[in-house]
Amino acid sequence: MTALTRINEARSTPLATGSLNGILRVLTCGSVDDGKSTLIGRLLWDASDLFDDQRATLERGRRIDGGHPDYSLLVDGLVAEREQGITIDIAWRYFDTATRRFVVIDSPGHEQYTRNMASGASHADVAIMLVDARAGIKKQTKRHAAILDLVGLKRVVLAVNKMDLAGWSEQRFREIERDFKAIAARFHFDDAVAIPVSAALGDNVARPSDMMDWYRGPTLLSHLESLPSRGAEAAGPFRMPVQTVLRQGVDFRGLAGTVSSGAIHVGDPVVDPVSGRAANVKRIATFDGDLQRAAVGQAIVLQLDADIDMSRGAILAAAEGRPHAARDLDTHLVWLSDTPFDTDNGYLLRTATDLVPVSAMEITSRLDLETLAEHPASTCAANDIVLARISLGRPTALDLFLKAGETGSFMLVDPISGATVAGGVVTELAEAEPKGARKAGVFVLSRDNLECGLCADLGGGAADQVEFRRRANEVALLLSAAGIAVELDLQS
Amino acid sequence: MSAPLSHLDLLEAESIHIFREAAAQFRKPVLMYSIGKDSTVLLHLARKAFFPEKPPFSLLHVDTTWKFREMIAFRDKTARDLGLELIVHTNQDGLARGINPIDHAPSVYTDVMKTAALKQALDMHGFDAAFGGARRDEEASRAKERVFSFRAAGHRWDPRKQRPEMWRLLNGRLGSGETARVFPLSNWTEKDVWRYLAREKLDVVPLYFAAMRPTVERNGQLLVVDDERFKLKPGEHVEARRVRFRTLGCYPLTAAVGSEASDIEGVVAETLAARTSERVGRLIDHDQSGAMEKKKQEGYF
Repeated sequence: MTALTRINEARSTPLATGSLNGILRVLTCGSVDDGKSTLIGRLLWDASDLFDDQRATLERGRRIDGGHPDYSLLVDGLVAEREQGITIDIAWRYFDTATRRFVVIDSPGHEQYTRNMASGASHADVAIMLVDARAGIKKQTKRHAAILDLVGLKRVVLAVNKMDLAGWSEQRFREIERDFKAIAARFHFDDAVAIPVSAALGDNVARPSDMMDWYRGPTLLSHLESLPSRGAEAAGPFRMPVQTVLRQGVDFRGLAGTVSSGAIHVGDPVVDPVSGRAANVKRIATFDGDLQRAAVGQAIVLQLDADIDMSRGAILAAAEGRPHAARDLDTHLVWLSDTPFDTDNGYLLRTATDLVPVSAMEITSRLDLETLAEHPASTCAANDIVLARISLGRPTALDLFLKAGETGSFMLVDPISGATVAGGVVTELAEAEPKGARKAGVFVLSRDNLECGLCADLGGGAADQVEFRRRANEVALLLSAAGIAVELDLQS
Repeated sequence: MSAPLSHLDLLEAESIHIFREAAAQFRKPVLMYSIGKDSTVLLHLARKAFFPEKPPFSLLHVDTTWKFREMIAFRDKTARDLGLELIVHTNQDGLARGINPIDHAPSVYTDVMKTAALKQALDMHGFDAAFGGARRDEEASRAKERVFSFRAAGHRWDPRKQRPEMWRLLNGRLGSGETARVFPLSNWTEKDVWRYLAREKLDVVPLYFAAMRPTVERNGQLLVVDDERFKLKPGEHVEARRVRFRTLGCYPLTAAVGSEASDIEGVVAETLAARTSERVGRLIDHDQSGAMEKKKQEGYF
């Protein structure tokens, strides 16, 4: 049964599909020349619930070689991009098959858009990398694989496109497949497959090709339909970054957040890695009633059996293999801003829910994405992927990225413009040093310092303590921007 | 083990996460309440996000004075039932100048009574963030929109200056003069909105359900006559037809579709089988190529 007939059946029994079986987010990367927009357009055209007016827009649009519609018009969004004929930003597309929701994240492939691709890839469950069968694997394929690996993608598909222009040649496909497997083996991918397609003609996109009997594997669409959905796997240690505290009367103080890894049951012990305090889960509350268990992806409110004064920025974690109360981190990061890294700038580090001043930051090397070699470096600019050592003004809970992705990734923020200047992942962590073991020449901004003046107007209530923390962060930031090494010590 | 989460469960959880992040990071957010089905879902998700508390923000309705009467009644009842503060803002200057959707071009009317009105309301109350129900599936330029979308001073949207978003991290730190728009429904589709309304048994404005209504056919679209301000053009006549709306706006600018779907199950069935996108019924989008992108750059929501 082809995908298309399955979709048509789904349409004829609409109420049976009240809710789909999960979501798969698919990143597509490759350059304009590889026919990337055409491939996505073709997927939408053949496999999806595309609307008639969208089809009509396409029929009215320009035609390309062979007289078929230019499927890329379905994808290229912004006027400036359409005029330049390139894709510069990330575009999101949604379509349903009979089994699930697909989200297609289209990102640009050129070297000057590494940052766009990295941010797009960070949202995806699987990436389709595209090559032209005539050209084979290019340098950029390796670069793309490195970016996908950096942001944590585990599944990749190589779509070997334009097979029609390569004589439908099995030999050609196998050469490319071999090169691809050799590259993929260098990264942390769990799953890497190659599929021969013709996006323009539709072969092996949503329907099996009549031209390549030698290929026995799945079409691109059926391969994607076979992958596990987002949120289907509750593997990993329990983590829930606390977003906010919600109260009811005097008896209920709930910690609200989204489970970012693992699962939690009522009665389970949890710990705040920064304070070291522990408690047990008393209730898992939601608007729709209490739960006995919650797993990755669920937004919940946890009530604990002991009042361990936690608030936004903390992470609730399983006691075993808990996150680190981290102060010094080794990271890989991709520089997103047009303004290069500046040691005098002062940055903020945004974790899942915390915002911490960076007290010192040093670039140690830059990754050459063509050779995958690391070269010593001290600067970085837009699209660079670098290794950086970061010291924080106060400890915050962090994981190693490979252990728990959501609590092991972060963004760097410019404190003045608010801009997101870099996205990064934690590769090494040093536990915060015990109190009193401070480095010489570091100014310690303590609770006492702040209470006697700047924060004298604040009391002990929750809202005041949030404000206390905010002011402390801002002062630390100003001091570090002025060249004074500073540490925050807000424990009372 | 529990059953795996359905796609609606995942979308709901993502939206709740976005609401909580925005409420924690922005000083004074407001929920743009436009009374339609997307706003209904948005408001319901806000209630879920802050349970057992009430959502920590007000509702803002930009009233052009050309909304269907049933919409206004539904708006007032909703705010009252939920005990939330409702701020209604109309561009008084535009009203005084007599700007209306019948005598003025849709672009002029939208600019004055919607875009300028929204900016006035945000400035007047000092809101630094506004939740909106926009979805990426609605239109090509929205397909590139961020969850936290930033506006420079004067509320201008510059597509090239939007912040990259990575993983589930959301950065709401504002630069000088900046404000934010927050889109918790970014990853929802029209079908999801209807499926969710049905699943959660939410009330919507009755205009979404088919009924006999006074209609006029104009340029191939069906317009519903809501009050005496509607002006017939030569050759036009009012005819009762069984119609409903897929999207609600100002009544002379929003077209209805012929339909037999008189309850939510019927609408879900029709929506899942629909062959045209909902914005076909939005007359203002068809002005010119890239119309939405231009409107957004000027500050349209």
